[in-house]
Amino acid sequence: MMDVLPEPYRSQLKEELLFNVKTDLDTQGMLASQWLAITYGEVRLWHQGAQPAKQIPIEDIKEARAVSNIGSGMLIIETKNGPVVVARYTSTLTSAMSFAAKLISALAQGDELPVVTKGDIPQYCSNCHSPMEEGTKHCEVCMSKKYAALRMLGYLKPYKFKGILAACLLILSTIVELIPPYLTKIIIDDVLQPQQPGAIFAIIIAAWAITLLVMSSMQALRGYIGVAISSKLMGDIRKEVYESLMKLSLAFFDRRQTSQFISRVNSDAESMRQFMTDGVIYIAGHVLRFLFILVIIFSMDWKLTLLALVPIPLLVFLSISIWPKVGRRLYQQWRAIFRLNMQVGDTLQGIRVIKAFGQEKMELARYHTANEEVVHHDMRSEKMWQFFFPAFGLITSLGSVLIWYLGGHQVLSNDLQLGVLLAFVAYLGMLFGPIQWLSQMISWTSRAMTAAHRIFEIMDTPADVADNPEAVKLSHIKGDVVLQQVTYGYEKHHPVIKDINLEVKAGEMIGLVGHSGAGKSTFINLLCRFYDVDEGVITIDGVPIRNIEQSELRRQIGVVLQETFLFDGTIAENIAYSKPNASPEEIMRAAKIANAHDFIVRLPDGYDTRVGERGHKLSGGEKQRVAIARAIIHDPRILILDEATASVDTETERQIQEALANLVKGRTTFAIAHRLSTLRNADRLVVLDRGKMVELGTHEELLEKKDGVYRKLVDAQMEMSKIKGVGT
Amino acid sequence: MSAEGILMLSPDELYVYRGEGGVLQGVIAGKTYQELLIYLAFPMSYTNGYVSVRTKEGDELGVVRDLATLDQDSAAVMKEEIELRYFLPRVTTIVSIKQRSDRWFWELETNLGSIRIMMRNLHEHIHFPGGDRILLSDLDGRRCDIENWKLLDAHSQRMLRDIL
Repeated sequence: MMDVLPEPYRSQLKEELLFNVKTDLDTQGMLASQWLAITYGEVRLWHQGAQPAKQIPIEDIKEARAVSNIGSGMLIIETKNGPVVVARYTSTLTSAMSFAAKLISALAQGDELPVVTKGDIPQYCSNCHSPMEEGTKHCEVCMSKKYAALRMLGYLKPYKFKGILAACLLILSTIVELIPPYLTKIIIDDVLQPQQPGAIFAIIIAAWAITLLVMSSMQALRGYIGVAISSKLMGDIRKEVYESLMKLSLAFFDRRQTSQFISRVNSDAESMRQFMTDGVIYIAGHVLRFLFILVIIFSMDWKLTLLALVPIPLLVFLSISIWPKVGRRLYQQWRAIFRLNMQVGDTLQGIRVIKAFGQEKMELARYHTANEEVVHHDMRSEKMWQFFFPAFGLITSLGSVLIWYLGGHQVLSNDLQLGVLLAFVAYLGMLFGPIQWLSQMISWTSRAMTAAHRIFEIMDTPADVADNPEAVKLSHIKGDVVLQQVTYGYEKHHPVIKDINLEVKAGEMIGLVGHSGAGKSTFINLLCRFYDVDEGVITIDGVPIRNIEQSELRRQIGVVLQETFLFDGTIAENIAYSKPNASPEEIMRAAKIANAHDFIVRLPDGYDTRVGERGHKLSGGEKQRVAIARAIIHDPRILILDEATASVDTETERQIQEALANLVKGRTTFAIAHRLSTLRNADRLVVLDRGKMVELGTHEELLEKKDGVYRKLVDAQMEMSKIKGVGT
Repeated sequence: MSAEGILMLSPDELYVYRGEGGVLQGVIAGKTYQELLIYLAFPMSYTNGYVSVRTKEGDELGVVRDLATLDQDSAAVMKEEIELRYFLPRVTTIVSIKQRSDRWFWELETNLGSIRIMMRNLHEHIHFPGGDRILLSDLDGRRCDIENWKLLDAHSQRMLRDIL
């Protein structure tokens, strides 16, 4: 919710209030709130007093900028007397302040006023002050009163009939389990008496044996159902986590090490499964048994029962007090393992660099530190259990001691039958057995909760690039691409692509040129819609790409990236990646066009050659041609090439060039170009500099600009090749 | 190795001051700039040196090796600007750390005042740059610095120990 400007300030305004923000830093950079208000005539800022600390008439303003600092920012207004820092704020307010800057500039320059969107004003929950997702009305944090446990149990839904069956068996077997101690009572008090006939004794023993048989069969059946449910459940959870991962946008993976997800998907799902199958049955079973026993022993002797329950409040207190601690310890343990996994993932991915620099020892030392930490946390949380298990045991035994003492006295004074006492003690053992295991329950449950929190975290991360519900399918596209005032930054409000306008006709080849960091790769990432533009629009055949289903969009776009990634599988499978049902002829034709057919056929296993992770068995140039073949079979209308800078020998380069020339025919192509040959072939070149499009034209046109960026780039490249020439 | 290619600014080449509007301005190598930006090359390890001085467009004018070598006024303004540009409140007390659903809320007292930060989890938001230093980052990209957690008061240490 946008903060409402306090009345004492509002009443000072002479004109309609257009926008106001409550800042969170003062101009000295201290955490404090100030109020900024913008009207048609002026910009005002109040600090604490009633009088504004700053007041700038719009007519004195040339423009306004929101400057991003580190973790904070400042709103600078360019006045006729020089720049003025009007307000400072932490990065929480970046979007609101960027809007303020845009609004002030528009007012100053007489442009059309921007309209505030939800994304400009971060929404905060009025209750817990958490930021709320765009477009949602309810706070996610407050809403999740639906605890992780309940959500976890939701996975059992598809198995409810089996689950109900298992529950019934559980209730029955619990009741049956309670019969033997009662039989003991009967045997001792009524049967093992000298005057009793032996027939009753035999019947009772037979009943006992049958009880045991029934109990075991029910347990086996229940276990069988449990296993069936649990395996499927585990599969369901893994599937859902994986689906969530696939759904997430590239930006999510940019910031995270990916190997961590391997352990997440497997071990966290396992912890959840253990709780849901073993844990739930275990807990439910013991709770039921507890209640049944309570009823039985109450009916046998209510005074003794009350005595037996003396330790319970202590147990409950102990459980409640350790619960949060257990959760935190387990999360610490989880984090230690997480860091270790990350470390291993890092090391293995960079193994070549490690070997090349001979840094194995250092890596071992790093591993050792992380490993020690895991050991430390393991010990810490296990030690805790080693204390709690015996403590629970001791407390519960106290109850038994009390019963033996008082019950024994009563038996001696003939106030109580021996059988009743024995049955009582037996039931008490069964009653406190589960309570001792309360600690086990806490352990399982908290482990599962820790895992569930991590898993739900992945599932709940919203995809930055989501499909519009009204997204359309494009049946056949021509390939006209238009960019209108496109602005984008990986960190919002630190744009790396700024205000780009470009119209590309179907079949045209555009070369993207610029220094590294100029925004070339970002440009193509936006075309593929790996990220959504912050401002402006990109259209294909007049349809904004936001309104095209992502799967459909990617079907129309083919990509050959600088870093060629081949999946684990055969060359044929890799070529047919986007068209798994491609015929051998199609695969060969694509490879032929990509100049890959000959080298593939010469391999001992031909198209069936397995290429391992990252296609290790092929050379750089070969991998690239396989990737080109993959793009050819995809037959996209729009093609994106990120030309490899890695040097390959002249013959390979010629073959790759030829392959690329075959590929681009008749397709709208965007190529990040480094080689002069590619630059010459492009219909037009877009020269990017610090995110802006600074030049546009053909190779020849741009070369004519003496001070042009492109001219300088080409000159520098010529210089380089001369040096190389001399060097070799 | 010499710092070839990096223009190190000598103290007499640089004079900075705060303009009337509160913007950092200055004269560098004889040229006056209406607006200057400064970047710490090593914001964590060297907060008083290796300062890159840039134009508002971001072009580097040079690097100051050590603020202490500058004239007093310039050094004071530079220090102030660094504090303003790098929003990194130093934690003096941890009031509370609460977990609510899947969010962690930290109430902190810092040298810049009280602040409440929020994390989605601990494993991605707490960093250990070395020694006993801890950096906390929140969902909005703000960071708070605990320079040495072992020097905090007993209550704060207990809170930290509970989760670290």
